[in-house]
Amino acid sequence: MTKMTQAPTPQQQTGILSTSATDGTRRRRRKALRLWSVTALAVLISFLLNLPLLNAINVSLKPDAQMNAPLSAPTTPTLEHYANALGAAGYDFPTFFLNSFLISLGTVGLILIITVPACYAGLRLQFAKGLVVTSIIGLRLLPAIFFAIPIYVLFMTTGLLDTVVGLVLANTLLNLPLAIVLLSSGINDLPQEIEEAARVDGASVYRILRAIVVPILAPTLVAVAVLTFLFSWNEYLFGLILSSTQSTPITVGAANFVTSYGIRWGDLSALTVLSSIVPLGFAIFAQRFLVSGMTVGAVKG
Amino acid sequence: MRTRKVIAATTCALLALGLAACSSGSKSDDAGPPSSQNVRMVMFPGPQGDALQKVVDNYNDTQGLKDNVQVQTVMLSRADTFGKEATQMAAKSSDIDLYFTASYIIGQQAPNLDPLTTVDESAYFDSSIEGLTVNGKLMAQPLNVSNTFLIYRKDLIEKLLDDPAEHKRYEAISQEVLGKALQPKAPDDWSWDDYTAAAAYFTKQYNPESPTKYGTALQAKNLSFNVMIWNDLLWSNGGNWIKNGKADLTSDAAEAAVNTYRTIYTKGLTSPDSSSAEFPETQAALQNNNAAFALQWSTAFNSLNDPKASPNIAGNMAIARIPGKLHSNHAHTQGFALNKYSKNKDGALTWLKFLNSEAAMTEFAAAGGIPASPGVLEANVANNPSFPYIADQIANYGFNEPIFSGTFQALGKLAASLSGAWVGEKPVKEALKDANSELTALLDQ
Amino acid sequence: MSATRASKARVSVAGSGARPGPRPGSSAGWILSSPLLVFVLGIVLFSVVYGVVLSLQHRTVFDPEVTWTGLRNFGHVLADRAFWQSSWFTIQYSVIVTVIEIVLGVALGLFFNRTFPGKRILFLATILPITIAPALIAVMFRLITNENIGAVPAILQNFGLDISLYSPGSVVPLLVVLDVVHWTPFVFLIVYSGLQSFPEEIREAARVDGASNWQITWRIVLPLIKPVLFAATFLRFVDTVRTFDVIYVLTGGGPGTATETISIYIFKKAFEDGNFGVAAAAGVIMLTVMLPFIPLLVRKLGRAEN
Repeated sequence: MTKMTQAPTPQQQTGILSTSATDGTRRRRRKALRLWSVTALAVLISFLLNLPLLNAINVSLKPDAQMNAPLSAPTTPTLEHYANALGAAGYDFPTFFLNSFLISLGTVGLILIITVPACYAGLRLQFAKGLVVTSIIGLRLLPAIFFAIPIYVLFMTTGLLDTVVGLVLANTLLNLPLAIVLLSSGINDLPQEIEEAARVDGASVYRILRAIVVPILAPTLVAVAVLTFLFSWNEYLFGLILSSTQSTPITVGAANFVTSYGIRWGDLSALTVLSSIVPLGFAIFAQRFLVSGMTVGAVKG
Repeated sequence: MRTRKVIAATTCALLALGLAACSSGSKSDDAGPPSSQNVRMVMFPGPQGDALQKVVDNYNDTQGLKDNVQVQTVMLSRADTFGKEATQMAAKSSDIDLYFTASYIIGQQAPNLDPLTTVDESAYFDSSIEGLTVNGKLMAQPLNVSNTFLIYRKDLIEKLLDDPAEHKRYEAISQEVLGKALQPKAPDDWSWDDYTAAAAYFTKQYNPESPTKYGTALQAKNLSFNVMIWNDLLWSNGGNWIKNGKADLTSDAAEAAVNTYRTIYTKGLTSPDSSSAEFPETQAALQNNNAAFALQWSTAFNSLNDPKASPNIAGNMAIARIPGKLHSNHAHTQGFALNKYSKNKDGALTWLKFLNSEAAMTEFAAAGGIPASPGVLEANVANNPSFPYIADQIANYGFNEPIFSGTFQALGKLAASLSGAWVGEKPVKEALKDANSELTALLDQ
Repeated sequence: MSATRASKARVSVAGSGARPGPRPGSSAGWILSSPLLVFVLGIVLFSVVYGVVLSLQHRTVFDPEVTWTGLRNFGHVLADRAFWQSSWFTIQYSVIVTVIEIVLGVALGLFFNRTFPGKRILFLATILPITIAPALIAVMFRLITNENIGAVPAILQNFGLDISLYSPGSVVPLLVVLDVVHWTPFVFLIVYSGLQSFPEEIREAARVDGASNWQITWRIVLPLIKPVLFAATFLRFVDTVRTFDVIYVLTGGGPGTATETISIYIFKKAFEDGNFGVAAAAGVIMLTVMLPFIPLLVRKLGRAEN
């Protein structure tokens, strides 16, 4: 099913005995055609995968009366749904967006601080034979509901209910296993020679970690950051249970549009669109790191 | 270079964390003037919630200042409010002073609440007070009512009734689907057989000239609210959940009720997607000419006749009694209950007293709410054309499911046991037997 | 999923599973692990222990009195037919969904593993679905599959297919398709990142030796990204076992209990029945069942692949 149409290597090209110019252009044209057909297929795939989001964009611009023509574009596009999703409906969405942002960013920070040194210690320094780190992975097997009451009680007694900090801690709990899985994979792939060499040169563990390991791990760290941000941004259950008015994230705020009168499809679609932009933006921002981190790393290696 | 970037990013994240810690600390300072009592209550979003918010805002600006009480609403979605409240009750939390409750869950929540003794009960429907009374004590103050209607397309039904030729066709279809040759009747006088026959008449599969694709839009999703609608059939057939203190779901009335749903679904008188349908799906079906009538929540009516929301059918929808011998319609009441662990009971009770008044209820109705108050409903017909129907139907035909600690659970269990049978996936007798034993277990708990 | 494989490939290809021995001065280990340990002790351990304690208590919404009930909650769960049904359904569903997503995700990863016009944008477009919150996408799915106002039935009708998406026979395939559409990009992202660190020299070398592209993929590329595949499979499988939002919103576990997953079962026990002790017990049982797989995980994630 996969079309492995690579650009012809120098070997293949020189291997084909031909001196005619038209053959050259034909080959180039065939190559261009192959590449463009790959693009076309990619466009089709991403179109199919994004049908819900594309539909959300369409619906978010339609006034309620035009909901019954699902395949047509809005005849009188309106921005009222976006206005509602940003607070015009009376729900404090600007605060919800800010909360989600702070919670997600905070979780990324806390996760990186906690897991990077600990994974290195566990897997490379054999701290506790790596058991602490790997047993945490098992946490992911529990549905979030299992933690609902314990965390609620804990936060109630420590005054962390309805705070952004509390939700950062809760989301860190949820994302620890994911971060550890990805980091373990990354750390285990590190070539040990460089660290050996640095240690022989007398560098301390901390120096090695900071100056050598972390830079090489950059793409993994970016992946952890992006995915942690994403899962925290999209988290619902803890947001619901632990927040009430101050620290409500958007996912919980969105539930305001699911009313006992019915579902405000237009407003929810607008909110879905807006809500996806942020993690996407974070991913684009981080992708720069990803790309640059990898190429430089490869050269270094 | 990379290291610096990573460190920079992490520092940003930490700063954000720090900011967040500071900001959440400072925010709690502006929750009203420090000397007033801050009463926190939970509310559903939507038109009822919006209407109440207006009353709250007005109170905070006027009477609340005199009473030294400021009310803060915490909005949670219809699906999750009770889950969150359950968590808080289990943790004996003092975060909320007035829990949002309903007659179908008050029995479960009662051990965590204080009874209310100073409520003027005469202001409300009898069935509303009954619905919020547990073991003889009133546990919540009613706010609004929600009941079910038979909502139908006036234009299509009138056309059918006026045309003798169509009567013949109706008779033939009714024979085919039900085995009985019925004549069309006004919806207000329907039996469940009439409902089924009319649904068949308006289904294209049986009547290629039907103006709608299906006759009706059944709400057959595995959902507690759908059981409340199905209860209409059970009660109007003369049945009940409980008889002489014992579970009575294997009665003839119950069997007939399940069979009506089953016939409608398996004969294709409603869309096959009805197996996952509830309120919004039924709305969409009616709005798009894909159903001619349906059992639907009363709050739906206004938007169905609103040209901005339902351009295709606006002005053509009408309300009838629930079909069946007794025309029973489920009417649940929602209201506010006092948290046993609240630290602010005085403030909460002061606010509740204000809400109890006719002035407050009228304000609520004017803002779009449906108060549980027959007097206010009748006095405010101009605001909401469905008011007289609501008042009439609740007063004359309204019923509550038995209120006990297991009511909410029972709704969930019945949904799980019966929804399979509604869509023909499970044998009717077996489903009812399961439902009955679940209910028995709950009654014994 | 990290950068430099080139050096490793040069140095050794076989049996590099050995790990460095314990270092002198392992106080570094303690210090580096301390943030994690603090967090674990403060929050993780507390929550897990509390959750286990809950499972041994009679803790319901009805009864402010909390009493010890030993293993009775576990007995309740294990005797409950609904528990076994939902577990069985969950396992079947998870396996099917995970297999499909891994296959498609790898195919997509391989497909994108080349340069073509517009790749940057199309890459972002392809991972876009995972940026949508499950709680929100559940409602979007509900909208798009609604026969009256949804795009999918409208499209199907244009092709002359009058299928009902929610009829009892089609509802499970529908749920599978929706999950695949939502989460395959996640697998794709992980696989693609793994492929990025794949050293080109190996592929070149193989091609010089005359291997076809297909053989290269099967025999060399895929085995070398096994750790990445394993991580992706583990993450997706575990996540689908915990699936809740989409199914709950679309079918409520119905029709009947046909699509009730174990998460929905636990949710209903906690928030419908108000019985937190039983819900916690079900969670503990889930954990216990999956626990034996953890040593396997430890070994797999700890081993560098050939």
